[in-house]
Amino acid sequence: MHVHTIYKVPQGKLLKISLDYDDATNVIQQIRITGDFFIHPEDGLELLEESLRHTPYDHDVILKNIKHQITAHQLTLIGVTAEGLTQGIMRCRP
Amino acid sequence: MTEHWRFLDTGSHDAFTNMAMDRAILEAHRTGLVPPTVRVYGWTPSAISIGYFQGMTEEVDVQACQQHGVDCVRRITGGGAVFHDKELTYSIVVAESHPKIPRNILESYGRICGALVRGLEDLGIASSFAPINDIVVGSQKISGNAQTRKQGIVLQHGTILLDVDVETMFTLLKVPSEKIKDKMIADARQRVTSCSRILGRPISFKEVAANLRRGFEEEFSIRLDDGALIEEEREWTTKFREECFRQAAWNYRR
Repeated sequence: MHVHTIYKVPQGKLLKISLDYDDATNVIQQIRITGDFFIHPEDGLELLEESLRHTPYDHDVILKNIKHQITAHQLTLIGVTAEGLTQGIMRCRP
Repeated sequence: MTEHWRFLDTGSHDAFTNMAMDRAILEAHRTGLVPPTVRVYGWTPSAISIGYFQGMTEEVDVQACQQHGVDCVRRITGGGAVFHDKELTYSIVVAESHPKIPRNILESYGRICGALVRGLEDLGIASSFAPINDIVVGSQKISGNAQTRKQGIVLQHGTILLDVDVETMFTLLKVPSEKIKDKMIADARQRVTSCSRILGRPISFKEVAANLRRGFEEEFSIRLDDGALIEEEREWTTKFREECFRQAAWNYRR
């Protein structure tokens, strides 16, 4: 299933998320996150997207994956947080 | 002893050259060829820049831009889409390790925007830094800013609005629907202001540039010396322009 959502992070920036996931297995196949936020270094966003592909479409799993990438690659997020990203992604569910 | 940085007024260029030049200055400072640099510039033709993480076709009505002769370019910095029309744009390139640059990114926005606030104050405009990355007069935005850090070097660029044309802006940027376009224009008129609107008179690029320059000198306790791009910076500007900023692969990558 393909879904698209726009989510304003509380006290933060606007996230636009496109998500493909498999209804039967509940696994994310493809995800693209765009918006007016900041991630340093910038290639961190592609690492985050990559880390979510082929993983369960589940709040706790997504949050854990994002937090892990932030720590592993020493990412600084501005205008968005791990929880904000997760909330935005979870809103894609119809 | 007062530290000397370089000041560049590079005049107006197209969007691809402008973005390539900021990148070239960053590269030149990284390799130790030039001192910390403050640059001011304009845009001819008018242009839309989008943030690094934005989608071009998601944010911009590219066809309308073509009809209006407006260039579209992706920045290397995050943040939102900007219509560069009647404005002064600045960039600052300085090492992350410079004692006057906070290591914390949010704090460094505040510090660099402090130079803009001082410059605006000298113009007779009382403004303040509004985190994350804006400068406001009262509750109205007069400046937006965006920063990246690459290999130990900070590049922050941003705009100071000299005048503002929200109607054209919303012709070029995508709006969720035509139905709410009028409301968005009305909202933007409330939320955005400009130097000429505050001062009640037309204001020139030169006047704002001179005040901004003084603002940077005061904020960082430095002297800004007039300079020019060095040969490597000119070469790299051409290289980055052709190989990156003019390429659809770059501009439409997200």
